[in-house]
Amino acid sequence: MIRLNLVLLVAVLVSAVYLVGVQYDSRRLFTDLDKARNDARRLESDYERLQVQKRAQATPARVERLAKEKLHMRQATPGITTYVTYSAPTGPQASEVVHSGGISTKGAVP
Amino acid sequence: MSRSVQYTSSPLLASRTPVWRSKFVVGAIALAFFGLAARAAYIQVIANDFFQRQGEVRFARTLDLPANRGRILDRNGLILASSVPAPSIWAIPEDVDLDKAQLQRLAKLLELPVADISKKLANEDKTFVWLKRQVDEDTAKQIAALNLKGIYQRKEYKREYPEGESAVHVVGFTNVEDNGQEGVELTFNKALAGHSGSRRVIKDRLGRVVEDVGEQIPPTEGRDLQLSIDSKVQFFAFQKLRDSVLENKAKAGSVVVLDVQTGEVLALANYPSYSPAKRVNLTGAQLRNRALTDTFEPGSTMKPFVIALALEKGLVKPETVIQTAPGHMTVGGSTITDAHPHGPLTVNEVIQKSSNVGTVKMAMQMQPREMWEMFSQVGLGQKPQVPFPGVVSGRLRAYKTWRPIEQATMSYGYGLSTSLFQLARAYSVFARDGELVPVTLLKSPERSLGVQVIEVRHAHAVLNMLHMVTGPGGTAPKAQTMGYSVGGKTGTAHKQEGKGYAAKKYRGFFVGVAPIDNPRIVVAVMIDEPSNGKYFGGDVAAPVFSETVQQTLRMMGVQPDMAVRPQVVAQAVEESF
Repeated sequence: MIRLNLVLLVAVLVSAVYLVGVQYDSRRLFTDLDKARNDARRLESDYERLQVQKRAQATPARVERLAKEKLHMRQATPGITTYVTYSAPTGPQASEVVHSGGISTKGAVP
Repeated sequence: MSRSVQYTSSPLLASRTPVWRSKFVVGAIALAFFGLAARAAYIQVIANDFFQRQGEVRFARTLDLPANRGRILDRNGLILASSVPAPSIWAIPEDVDLDKAQLQRLAKLLELPVADISKKLANEDKTFVWLKRQVDEDTAKQIAALNLKGIYQRKEYKREYPEGESAVHVVGFTNVEDNGQEGVELTFNKALAGHSGSRRVIKDRLGRVVEDVGEQIPPTEGRDLQLSIDSKVQFFAFQKLRDSVLENKAKAGSVVVLDVQTGEVLALANYPSYSPAKRVNLTGAQLRNRALTDTFEPGSTMKPFVIALALEKGLVKPETVIQTAPGHMTVGGSTITDAHPHGPLTVNEVIQKSSNVGTVKMAMQMQPREMWEMFSQVGLGQKPQVPFPGVVSGRLRAYKTWRPIEQATMSYGYGLSTSLFQLARAYSVFARDGELVPVTLLKSPERSLGVQVIEVRHAHAVLNMLHMVTGPGGTAPKAQTMGYSVGGKTGTAHKQEGKGYAAKKYRGFFVGVAPIDNPRIVVAVMIDEPSNGKYFGGDVAAPVFSETVQQTLRMMGVQPDMAVRPQVVAQAVEESF
């Protein structure tokens, strides 16, 4: 009887110590998880910030200015544009030139 | 020297102690145990809640989970407004202890004068002062790296508007607390803002989160909002408008571009404008979204509606000849004049030449009620159903109060008022086979259901007249644009000032549709007080119309419907290497 009690006592002690260890581990892991989540959030907002920056660099105002000043492009007009229509690929001639304008389309601002 | 004594033979043991002593000790110990038990019972059972709470206060924290404000996108998904992190710097003045070099470095990073910062930190009674709100992330990092005592950061978000001044009247802006103040930011503030959530956690000694307790309330993120605006069309419309306002030394101007098929607003621009990033010294003139909030007398742009009504009532046919000589007529004691006397004109030509006399002659054959109904049906005098702050309804008086002279002047656009937005929408009647299209600021790519106002053939007849306006002999040949057939109506109205009309102050309008055979867009342009010599709608507003139509249709991928004389590029610009 006494032996059984001793075995049980030891078992309780071991389990208690183990519990403390597990609890400690779980908290440590939770802290890591929380940190990782925070990082994820931070990266997400970084991504958003960079998206906005990218967009700010590609506004029509800036694109037009750079195209005109740096690349010496100019506005495309229907007079220098060739229009091509695309119809469903039924025949060999899927696309047909509707209106042929000028020769050079060089320098068209998109 | 004492004599040592064996314990067992100690004489003290031999002495008899009174029984009450041992009883007293046992009693005292028993009492102590009882006290402990009672205290334990009190803590564990009776006052358990209190102690549990006190414990929690010391290690549990409620963390706010802020919701991100939704983005505002244009119809192609490009960002018009988005929140980016922008930490705010604050301090506890009492704790701050800076030497001169540190102070200077801080001032330089914050871009504030040293004196300002010193002043803010001087007041030691305060426990909290903002040093600067919403600095950019890099600056915040550098300040954090300085590791200054008593200076902290708070995570905040700032709105960025990449499109800047061209779209600001539609998009609006938020204040420093992230609440919408103007435009779509204001009307959709609730949906954009979302709801912040919260979670309860246990923190350890170092402030790290170690455990969640209880349930989390996840934040409801702000909804993204996709507008019908096309940022390219918006930019070009704004640019052309700005050029025209500056060239004509005008006070202001507005452009509205509507998609006829879907009723979407593709662009809505005003000038003068402002940059949403620099909002100091803003005036009402810059802030106003004129196209929606300002009303004016629409002048000759009303005539097509009167003609349409005349066709509907069978009063005239497009070829019916109306005598407009000698260029003036009298109604109820007042004289109505044409700018130039014309002689006999067909109904087509009445619109083409914009003859007041011709229009009034038709209008006087109608009942006031019929005209009123026509004007109401195309949306005049009613608030446009667009979610926007400060939308106005314009003024259309009840027909019972109309005097004959008022009926006459209303037929050519005086005595009633409308916003440019209403005017643009009204013209959708001609562009969509007689249907008035419901307008929307949000993307809705399906063809919308309109309300039939006039018969299809009459809409086509008026459309043809509008086309003639831009042709040779019309009032607005400048509205023509390369490759696309257009049609529209000019308007030049005296500005009201005080009780009467200002002598030399005008508004020039042009409202039109394109392409004429299968209209896709309605464009309305208003130039306020052009004062550089030219002031006719056909001179100041039509060119803006022309260029806006050109750009918009090209952007929409609409094929030119008119033969274009091929332009050979004579000399290419010098190649750059």
